[in-house]
This record gives sequence, C-alpha cells and structure tokens, in this order.
Amino acid sequence: MSELRYAYYPGCSLHASASEYDLSTREVFAALSIGLDEVPDWICCGATPAHNVDELLSLSLCAKNLELAEQVSGDMAVACAACFSRLKFAQHVLKEDDRKLHQVEQAIDAKVPLERNVKHLLEILVRDLGAKRLGQAVKKPLSGLKVACYYGCLLTRPPEVPQLDDCEAPTIMEQLLHAVGAETVDWTHKMECCGANFTLSRPGVVLQLSNAILDSAKAAGADCIMVGCPLCHGNLDIRQKEIEGVYHRSYDMPIFYLTQLVGLALGVPADRLGLDALIVSPQRLLRERKLL
Amino acid sequence: MKKKKMLLSQETMDIAMVRKVESLSGTSVRRCFQCGKCSAGCPMATFMEHPPNRVVRLLQLGQWQRILAGRSIWYCASCETCSTRCPNKVHLASIMDALRKLSWDHDGPSKESYVQLANKLFLQNIRTYGRQYEMRLAAVFNVKSGQFLKDMMLGPKLLTKGKLKVFHQKNKNMAEIEKIFSRIEEMRRKGEAL
Repeated sequence: MSELRYAYYPGCSLHASASEYDLSTREVFAALSIGLDEVPDWICCGATPAHNVDELLSLSLCAKNLELAEQVSGDMAVACAACFSRLKFAQHVLKEDDRKLHQVEQAIDAKVPLERNVKHLLEILVRDLGAKRLGQAVKKPLSGLKVACYYGCLLTRPPEVPQLDDCEAPTIMEQLLHAVGAETVDWTHKMECCGANFTLSRPGVVLQLSNAILDSAKAAGADCIMVGCPLCHGNLDIRQKEIEGVYHRSYDMPIFYLTQLVGLALGVPADRLGLDALIVSPQRLLRERKLL
Repeated sequence: MKKKKMLLSQETMDIAMVRKVESLSGTSVRRCFQCGKCSAGCPMATFMEHPPNRVVRLLQLGQWQRILAGRSIWYCASCETCSTRCPNKVHLASIMDALRKLSWDHDGPSKESYVQLANKLFLQNIRTYGRQYEMRLAAVFNVKSGQFLKDMMLGPKLLTKGKLKVFHQKNKNMAEIEKIFSRIEEMRRKGEAL
C-alpha cells in the first residue's frame, strides 16, 4: 500500500467556528493512515471579500499560501470549499494571465507554484485513497442513514477551475457515502447557493436561500445533510432554528461535515468527531439508526 | 411618475469603460447577447434591482453609473452559476468582481453599505491578524453598522459549543503579510497594477 501524505491547509474557519471539521478530518486521516502535515504559518485565503473588491490582493494571498506550502511535501489537502476554490482560481488565472502573474510575484516577492496539486478532501478520500479501500476500512456501515449530499457552489463551479466533478450533476459525495454504507437521496437543491457570506452582512438572504435547501432535503426524505464547506454548514446548522422560526417550519435536520460521517463509519469514537459541537443535535437520529 | 426617455447613440456608449471591465475581469462584455440564462439561474436575482443580464446590458450601453450607484453588484453571492451556464462563455462572476472593484476604489456612491462594511472589516482583519478572527469580525460589524443586538441570541450557544474563539493569536509571519499589502499599494501608486 503506497503511503499517502498531504500538505494540509485547514483555513480560518476550521480553527474557530468549524473546529469539529478540523478535528474529524485529523481523526479520519489518522484512522486511514493518511499523513497530514499542516502548512506552517498559513494565512487567510482572502475568501469572497478579497476577490469581491481586490483581485490582485486575493490572488496574492492565495499565491503566498501556495508558496508557504512548499515547506511541506505532497499534494495540498484543503477542507473548506471556499479556500479550495480560491487556491484553484489563483492557479487558473495566473497560468493564463502573464500580466497578473508578474504583479502577484512582485507582491509576494517569490515565484508562484502554479503546478502544485490542490485537492479537496473529497478527492483524496474518493479518488486518491479510492472508494474501494475506504469501504474496506469501514467498521460500522452507516446502514439506513438517508443523507442529502449538499455540494453548494464552489466545489464544482465554474467547471474549468475546480475540476472536481460534473458542474451540474456531481456524484463524488454520493460515491463517498455509498462506500461507507449510507443511502443518499435525489433532491433538487444540492447545487443551490446557501447565501454564503451574507450571513454577516445581510442574514435575511441566508434565511431565505437556506430555508429552500432544508425544505428540499426534507421533502426528499433525507434524515440529514452532508456538507464539505464551513460556511454552508454555519448557514444550515447555526441558523436552522432561526429559519424554522421565520418560516414556521420544523426541520430538526442535523448537518454533518463529510469527515464526521466517514469517521463514524470508520469506528472513530463519537467524542473525537466533534458531534457535540453541532447546533442541531444528531444524537436522536444516530441512536435511532444504532450508530451511537 | 413620468418615465424618462432613454437616449441611445454613439455618444452615450462608453467603450473605454467596457474595455476597462474586460481588462480587469479577463472576460468579454461585448459577447453577451442577452439570452437571460444568467438571471434565470441566479439565486440572488430577486434581491437585485438590475438582474445580472441587465447589468451587462447597461454596461454595454454606457450606463455603468446606474450599476455602480445601485446595489445589484453587492448582492451577487459569487456562486458562479452564471459563469458556468453562459452559452457565450462570458464570465459574469468576474465582471461583477471588476465592477465592485471600480465602485470600491472610488468609494462608490452605492446604496449597499453593509456588504461593503463586512468586506472592509474582513480585509482589515487579515492585515492585522493574518487569519480571520471571526468573533471580532462579527462584533465590530455590529458596532459599526449600529445593529448592536444582531445575532446576540446566537452568541452564548456558539461560545458553549466552542465555535467562538474569544482570543486569537496573530500569525508569526505578520511582517511578510504586511509586505504583501504595502507592495500592492506601492504598485498602485506607481500605476503598475490595477
């Protein structure tokens, strides 16, 4: 078995509001004997606010992270869909535009590693390790758990940048869950926007868009939703109570990070997956399905 | 209300502005033929006074002041659906970035101030701390936008769940980060960067 080892870029959220995503990622990778070396002194990728108003700054912050990642070996492993998108965007734009590349190199005073592979955790688990090997490591199949896979915007769009999966009908999350024994539902909103960073500036936008997502998942008969992005998670989980109040609905829909569900299947103890940090408690659901 | 007649002629077009946006965004403004597919799939169109296809049309017709003065560009969520689906490969999400930058640079007279405030505080936090300091971002946003009680009910819950880090360490490489910001400012002063 060839040894897998990655340069880990957690991103800002994973050190605060999404610490359970960081914890469960480290646990899952350890359980699968995949090495993770955190990029030393990594900085914020700039996320949406930077590219919103200052593309050069956005490209430079990402380029700096690619440069910092040169201190550790292996492809880059990125947990957050937004960081993943920004790093891939920077490489894509800078490969095509010499003028921007020159300015960015001046800004960070270094060459930009344009060919470094940047991968989302999904790619690593489903493609590099492979669904088959992942399936062999399963100790407790997630039988009977019906999951709505929520991709959101940035894992697949625009198609030429992330190149993760089909941009309108991806299946990589479903492949991951089938490998660990869960069921997935077909639903309408797996690619719709949750309202993203309007959670700070205009939360009303998030309530409306995220309500539609929760409503669709419920209608499709899902027990829970799986995500690979801390911002989507915050909007669907932290704001779920508020959404229920505003739209007079009752969802009680746990929102899991992909590594939490995979971790459960691999037999990682529940307290090492940060399940307690979820605002919508998954305890009842997991007990009913005999997964706790 | 009396409807204003819109006058269109060679003089009302502004090809220089179209070129500027094309240069900033790396995509074509002129290739858009108004099929409306971007607006059909846009999750934010309901919040905008000019839906995405009209933003491009106004730009083509030299009416960009109306875009910069409005809130449409600030209500774009950068979800990339428009860019993904455009049959003419117009990267509309990048055009939105370019328009926001133009508005931002001139402290645009936009009606939308909350999104701009959030962006500003987010970028200031990177320059001060290296990584995002979520709790400070939310707290300062509330103070500066005068919404002292916004999301107050969430605070205690997030704290007990360990989702709000009250203390935040600055990065060790702050000097390098500051250099990125100052070099970009320097390049702009010299006119070497957009």
